[in-house]
Amino acid sequence: MTAALELGSGESGDNLLARVRTVLGRRTEGRAVALLAVVAVVTAFLEPVVFTSYPVTLGRIALIGLVALGLTAVILMGELDLSVASTLAVSGVVMASIESLPLGIVAALLVGLMIGAANAFFVVAVGINSFIATLGMLFFLRGSAFVLSNEEPVRLANRDAGIAFGKPFLGPLTPRMLLFIGAFIALQVFVTRVRVGREFYAVGGNREAAYDAGIPVTRRIVTGFMISGFVAAMAGVINTLERTAADPTAGSTVLLASFAAAIVGGVLLTGGRGSIFGTLLGATSLGILQVALTLSGVQVDVQNIVIGLVLLLAVITDPNSVRGVVGSVRSLLQGRSRA
Amino acid sequence: MTDTSTKVAVASQPAAQLDLSERDFRPIDWLAQRGIFVFTTVLILVAAVFIDGFASLANITDVFNRAAPIGIVAVGMTFVVISANYLDLSVVAQVATAAVVLIGVSNEYNIVAAMALSLVIALTYGLINGVAVGVFDANAVIVTLSTTFIGLGLLRWLTGGSIYFGPPESLIRSFGTTKIGPFPLSMLVLILMAVLLSLVLTRTNFGFLVRSYGSNRAATRLAGVNTAWVVIGAFMISAIGAMIGGFVLAAFSNTAVSSMSTGFDFEALAAIIVGGTSVFGGRGSVMRTLLGVVFVSVLTNIMVLSGLGFGYQQMAIGALIVTAVSIDALARKATLS
Amino acid sequence: MRDDDHDHPVGDGADPNGEPIIEARNITKSFGGAVAVDGVGLAVGAGEIHGLVGENGAGKSTLMRVLAGIVTPDHGVVSIDGVDLDAGNTRAALDAGIALVHQELSLVPEMTVAENILLGSTPTTSGFIKVSEQRRIAAEALNEIGVSVDLDEPIVRLSVALRQFVEIARAVARKPRVLILDEPTATLTPAETDYLLDMLQRLADRGLAIIYISHRIPEIFRICHRVTVLRDGKLVDNIAIADTTPDAVVDQMVGRELKIEEGQRREALPGSVVLSAEGIEAHRVNGIDLQVRAGEIVGLGGLVGAGRTELVRSIIGADIRSAGDVTITTDKGEARVRTYRSAVNNGLAYVPEERRTDGLALTMSVSDNVALPNRSELSRAGILSRSKIARRAQELAEVVGLRPPQVQREAGEYSGGNQQKIVLAKWLGRKPAVIVLDEPTRGVDVGAKAEIHRLIKELADNGTAVLVVSSDLPELLELSDLIHVVRDGRIAGTLDGSVADEKSVMSLASGEATVSGNGDPDDLVGSAQ
Repeated sequence: MTAALELGSGESGDNLLARVRTVLGRRTEGRAVALLAVVAVVTAFLEPVVFTSYPVTLGRIALIGLVALGLTAVILMGELDLSVASTLAVSGVVMASIESLPLGIVAALLVGLMIGAANAFFVVAVGINSFIATLGMLFFLRGSAFVLSNEEPVRLANRDAGIAFGKPFLGPLTPRMLLFIGAFIALQVFVTRVRVGREFYAVGGNREAAYDAGIPVTRRIVTGFMISGFVAAMAGVINTLERTAADPTAGSTVLLASFAAAIVGGVLLTGGRGSIFGTLLGATSLGILQVALTLSGVQVDVQNIVIGLVLLLAVITDPNSVRGVVGSVRSLLQGRSRA
Repeated sequence: MTDTSTKVAVASQPAAQLDLSERDFRPIDWLAQRGIFVFTTVLILVAAVFIDGFASLANITDVFNRAAPIGIVAVGMTFVVISANYLDLSVVAQVATAAVVLIGVSNEYNIVAAMALSLVIALTYGLINGVAVGVFDANAVIVTLSTTFIGLGLLRWLTGGSIYFGPPESLIRSFGTTKIGPFPLSMLVLILMAVLLSLVLTRTNFGFLVRSYGSNRAATRLAGVNTAWVVIGAFMISAIGAMIGGFVLAAFSNTAVSSMSTGFDFEALAAIIVGGTSVFGGRGSVMRTLLGVVFVSVLTNIMVLSGLGFGYQQMAIGALIVTAVSIDALARKATLS
Repeated sequence: MRDDDHDHPVGDGADPNGEPIIEARNITKSFGGAVAVDGVGLAVGAGEIHGLVGENGAGKSTLMRVLAGIVTPDHGVVSIDGVDLDAGNTRAALDAGIALVHQELSLVPEMTVAENILLGSTPTTSGFIKVSEQRRIAAEALNEIGVSVDLDEPIVRLSVALRQFVEIARAVARKPRVLILDEPTATLTPAETDYLLDMLQRLADRGLAIIYISHRIPEIFRICHRVTVLRDGKLVDNIAIADTTPDAVVDQMVGRELKIEEGQRREALPGSVVLSAEGIEAHRVNGIDLQVRAGEIVGLGGLVGAGRTELVRSIIGADIRSAGDVTITTDKGEARVRTYRSAVNNGLAYVPEERRTDGLALTMSVSDNVALPNRSELSRAGILSRSKIARRAQELAEVVGLRPPQVQREAGEYSGGNQQKIVLAKWLGRKPAVIVLDEPTRGVDVGAKAEIHRLIKELADNGTAVLVVSSDLPELLELSDLIHVVRDGRIAGTLDGSVADEKSVMSLASGEATVSGNGDPDDLVGSAQ
């Protein structure tokens, strides 16, 4: 055979440095790492207690991160699930309304799966943009949560189980954290090692090519929405257990933080790019940020401002659009005179 | 694919290109185009006959009072929807801010200062949303979601979440209480806004560009249009609508608090979409949004009169949005296939 | 014209067994009345590389899509080893061993090389990806075509050339018996092309049947054993390469004795330079100078993928250019234009290649579309005058011959030819100093085509500088006063429109007339993004 044509991909090389650069160049978590570094360093100086009281911080990260993980699965396919916030509320209310705890949990998780399937139906079968479909669903479910709960928090019948649930279970880790870690590992394996999950990237990255290659795109989208619904329901269950009551208004701030975590983590809104690990980093930086702000005595309102700003910056600094932005800004500022 | 005999071809092709035969009638098209007129009429008739108290003067005035601020927000937001940018979620923050500023600043200083400050805030919202979406090409839902949180956060932080009460005698108060027959003044403002914005959308250069941009971005850009300004303009109009909606809301209750506009985002969106403006962009009208506002307000009123609470109202409006968009999407599919 | 007796070509020396692997008989396919492929047959044996040539629109791609089961033919059968395949069944074609390498790349940018090679057929055990198996198959496929690339590199970080090779590896990994390649060298440098051609020969030596579509005649003569020539959907010839010459094949592709029959060339009286572009460099454009004078029609010829669209888009500022100056000179003075909008404001009109996505707002009325670039003329103080718009649109609709001239109709309701007339009407209202048209009559019926040609000529006669990109050779020759032939992002040659013929353009475009191998060695190194 003739010698292979050297069509090297640019930065390949044998020395360690070049190899490290190649590996890093493939990653999509750049912004999350930057944010995490800044947040961690500043916090370490100004509010070191964030790290010494790490159970609190870890709890917050789990709170933000869980919903973000489910969202990531959907966004990877270029779709969006705004209904997660209400899914969380509805599933919590459903769970608390049922006397038996195990039955309640199962029912709540089933509700999450059903909501995911309904979202997927509107997106796939009817052909509505997922932004609008899940927005409608967000309102519908929020209403359902109010109706089911008679507009007030529903107390959990089995309060002891809830109290036990909030206690450390393994070392300093509460069951919530363990579930979060479990969900992270499961999804990380799913999108990197399982064929179905890996094909999410194909569905988001080049849907046409995915169809041509015989990937069942519709089924993948349904799976993605069901994952997102299931994870949001799981977050609802955990919240309800920890608070020993289900709040029909729960979840509205989670929406913002979890979107911020996923987008900061490098998940491209148009699909095909991002990682579960990136979302974890995003959630970690936002968790540390929130706890640091709380411990510094900053009000919740200001925290919302900060997280809103983080999300706004993350969504406008998407690396792919930077070049286009330079052009747009130039065009915008250019004189409007006519010849 | 040769044109060796083009002249012959031209001569022998008298009516071959007239393939513009009327499309077959399809129920889904009718539903998408005309359904709202029938539904609104039927809804009002049914309510008048079956719902106790619906047809009373007091109730009709109440419907108008509640419909006006949402309607004003909706007619403004229609521009964002037509420009194919989904919606402006941040109207929730904008309405509350305008209401609080109007009452709070009027109490401290005077109404002119309050309105001037509100205008500056509204233009800032329009500019930030518009630049993020139009220049940075970011997704409008996510952008306006974050500006909602930033805006509401700022408002609550600065006001400490307190409620502002207007004085019992003031210009604002008298505006809020004056009626012409069953019509509160706010309804007049809504109609004025709708007529004005309808003219802007259909008659002006800018409105034309919004429709054109919503219909086809690339073609609009390639016609030499500075499309960033079109998007910024659409968000500006949405912001001004939200500001006036906030004023009217504050005048009606003569109080203002940061939580008073909860639900304005999706009630406005429901009105726009039910009215027949397409979320796919390009198609829509301000006057139809007005019709959508009537529908949504009457529906809400019926639910209130029937004793169905906030939860049911939200469910109904969520279902309404999904249904209306589904009809739009299915009609579109049928047309394309 | 030679006849259809070639439906059952008999393999010659190039086909050792004499029995074809793949055979297509009497394939006919029309799209909405237009016949794309008309009773064509084709047979390819093991070890044979079969060239398929023809002008744009001759039916090559449609025929290949029929073979691959993507398109269902109206008539005709495709068989493998004498067994007829289910028509229009992509899966059946794949299972029978037919692999098609598309003209447009169909890879997933963020997935790795190994994953892309096995996309859709990822090996798994109970749902989990067998990574080592995946890597092994991918490595084997890459090894088979002799390309070394990191299996874990995401596609997005590969050069265009490497992506093309990964695409081929993907086809090879399916262990096909028939490999179909549609213009695989369109985006490659000469050295990369050399490599690809050698590789195909090696694959053929191992017993694959290869169908190779290319505009580039020298490539056909270098590797193919037989060549099939299509013209206007019909089979013109199927001949052993040894029995023909490049000249004869080009003649058969073109197939016209007379350059122009009905559409008359006009007498050009070019004035001063209106559009001037110097040293233009951009994506797939490598330093081009270009001038267009008032009243002159300059044609840009070349193969699909030669960089013509990229060239005009970077000149007018619709795409970003990395270097180069563009000036538009009108009676109002000379203006350097950097952005697209400043070009339009200085008298540019642009009729884009993709009229449905870039040219028209299909859900808006004809009059609204026409009004779009003419807003300032049709409005006063920002208020549009509806009566003015309607009148102007009606006027322009009649000028361009829109049928029926009902300007309140939605643009999307009109046929392709009429839509293109609407795009022209948009710009005619501005009396542009320079108009750039990219494939102005693609997908347009003959009648509308003649009218569009008439309009373009009238524009030039009235002093507009015209720049036309066209893959339609008769059109290029009929319209152009000067023809630049673009190849690999450079101007391969310039011809006087009055003496140029299809052959001279085709020779320059396909590289037959220039020395090959002028590729920059740097081009071989795929640029990481």
